[in-house]
Amino acid sequence: MDVNFRKIDIDQYDEDVILDSELYEPDPRDPAQVLNDAKQKAAAVRQSLARGDVAGALTAVLEGAPYGPNVEEAKNLNLQTVVSILNSTKATEIPNIVRALSPDAQDILMKYLYKGMALPGWGDVSGSVLLGWHEKLTEAAGTGCIVRAMTDRRLV
Amino acid sequence: MSNTLRPYLAAVRSTLTAALTLEDFASQVVERHNKPEVEVGQSKEVLLNPLTISRNENERVLIEPSINSIRLSIKIKQADEIERVLCHKFTRFMMQRAESFVVLRRKPVKGYDISFLITNNHTDTMLKHKIVDFIIQFMEEVDKEISEMKLSLNARARVVAESYLAAFAS
Amino acid sequence: MAPPELYALGQNQTAINSHAFNANRNEVAVSLNSTDATIWERHGHEWRQTETLSEHDKMITSIDWAPNSNRIVTCAQDRNAYVWQQSPDPQTGRMVWKPTLVLLRINRAATQVRWSPNEDKFAVASGARAIAICSFDPEGDWWVSRLLKKPIRSTVLSVDWHPNNVLLAAGSADMKARVFSAYIKDVDKRPAATVWGEKLPFNTICGEYTSHAGGWVHAVGFSPSGDVLAFASHDSSITIVYPPNSAAYTIKLSSLPLLTLTWTTENSIIAAGHDCQPLVFSGSQGGWELTGTLDDPNANKTGGGAARAGFGAASPVGRLNSAAFNTFRNADSRGISNVPGSPASSGESELFTVHQNTITSVRPYEGVPGNIARVSTSGVDGKLVVWDVTQVSPIGVTGIVGRLAGMQL
Repeated sequence: MDVNFRKIDIDQYDEDVILDSELYEPDPRDPAQVLNDAKQKAAAVRQSLARGDVAGALTAVLEGAPYGPNVEEAKNLNLQTVVSILNSTKATEIPNIVRALSPDAQDILMKYLYKGMALPGWGDVSGSVLLGWHEKLTEAAGTGCIVRAMTDRRLV
Repeated sequence: MSNTLRPYLAAVRSTLTAALTLEDFASQVVERHNKPEVEVGQSKEVLLNPLTISRNENERVLIEPSINSIRLSIKIKQADEIERVLCHKFTRFMMQRAESFVVLRRKPVKGYDISFLITNNHTDTMLKHKIVDFIIQFMEEVDKEISEMKLSLNARARVVAESYLAAFAS
Repeated sequence: MAPPELYALGQNQTAINSHAFNANRNEVAVSLNSTDATIWERHGHEWRQTETLSEHDKMITSIDWAPNSNRIVTCAQDRNAYVWQQSPDPQTGRMVWKPTLVLLRINRAATQVRWSPNEDKFAVASGARAIAICSFDPEGDWWVSRLLKKPIRSTVLSVDWHPNNVLLAAGSADMKARVFSAYIKDVDKRPAATVWGEKLPFNTICGEYTSHAGGWVHAVGFSPSGDVLAFASHDSSITIVYPPNSAAYTIKLSSLPLLTLTWTTENSIIAAGHDCQPLVFSGSQGGWELTGTLDDPNANKTGGGAARAGFGAASPVGRLNSAAFNTFRNADSRGISNVPGSPASSGESELFTVHQNTITSVRPYEGVPGNIARVSTSGVDGKLVVWDVTQVSPIGVTGIVGRLAGMQL
């Protein structure tokens, strides 16, 4: 007897079922514009870093971080920018920088830390640097920040 | 304790604490069932983003949270062939006796060496910070255990070689 | 300044899924993580179990006790709800609780049940992506239900009634809090216009709010006037919404998510959850903030030992229920050791809060809506605690997060 009918996922035909696209508000910007924004920010961050303004660079790059589908290139670029900032910060400065960030920026930074840790060896991601930032950020923003990194479907 | 192990375990500890916010949740797909949503994976809205904590390419922890259960998978450090064999045997031994460990999963998640499945029943009946402690302690012990086994294996090999070759020396 | 009253109802820390007091607060109905609901009567400073309501065949998720009509409604994961009414037993003449099955017409677990303010309707939230609004049909002599379905996309986790008996707030796992009209023609009079809208046929959506960072909405609550809505979600935040222009204030917590909330006055909310302590929020249309906790970190928690013993004496001593057995079982599965001479270990396994595990329910205990003097909480640790809402302490590192931060690796 043919038993393949048992393998059909009938729940996908349920009209009430929730779709991936309904789990979060899509980014209103156009993918090309998002990429453009990310490139501009990368350039601005390089300037800020040259001046030694780490906090300013971090605030700028975390604002309007790209999320959602179809913007892979912009996401990678932004991650690279974030990682370059994280790597060039002295360990003693980290606590003051994370405390100065707004709560929204702290949440987004936490998302980037987990994203970086999920890609060990990608670009110049270094596990020990990210772990150091993670520890300081958790001290400043608490476990609530980690909970939000789990619940927020707007993946960076 | 080495310099990067401490922040690594601290990150696992805080992430696990955040993930262990479980509640009772009956299945919304199958009537009168109540199962770990992270294993079923059919209701997307009750699953949360999986988080990875990595120390380097060879040592990482994956935490997959959901509304009533979390799955925690560990990739144990394996530097060479002997450590790989020892790690495989050791985790296999544990997982075959999974029911005695309560939170241990019988099969690891792909890409990892050992997995734990913690459900709301476990957090209801056991103290949450004790579960976290157990996982952290396990992570500390397992590295030690494997390097000890490797040392004794090497020592044993040396003794065997010596006594075998002694026959030719005389 | 009375310390919080602490009663341990659950044997061996069995979770209390839900609790509901009667009007006089001398009886309480609880479900101890089982298929039975139990009724306990107050004797001085002790609670004694008087009755067991067993009809459900899956775990009871929620109980509500209508104060004026003295009826209990229970719902469970077996998709059923029962209304319990006291009536004299034909043989003995004693008053006993008699169940009536409710025709819910839902096909998944029921998650929460609440009587409407006039006690002529109740709402049952369910995993069937629907809310059943039940009203009594005198002709058929049973409770019939109508379903609120659209546009709910996932399990409904909580419901709360507006004081006008018509509007209903619901929080669900699709990360939304919604306000519905649950107007039933034969039961309700035409409601007066509110900030939520004027014409309100059944299943009108009067408001839909998304949680800040995509967490499931665990708790919803109307303010005493009904003009403000608060909801707590799993992204460790609580949001207060002012309709109709939907000014919303979101407070992000640095600790773990909240699971339950109740309004004490028009300007203050008490909420609790995974952090094991009731938090106090206060504010007005100008803004909201976290003001403190009811759990005084400096109070001597062991002083409550006498109250804590509460039910210990009433426990049936069976072969597997002896004190020695429990000691070893606790040491084994919970890491609690009560061995005399090792005080350090017991301190290590206890949290610094009154509740030792997640708080799942907070409800008004004393006072009138809009001026609540005391609230009761119950949780997974099997404890029922009555708090004075005026005793607010500043936030310290008392919760489970503090516990974990204090430990050395």
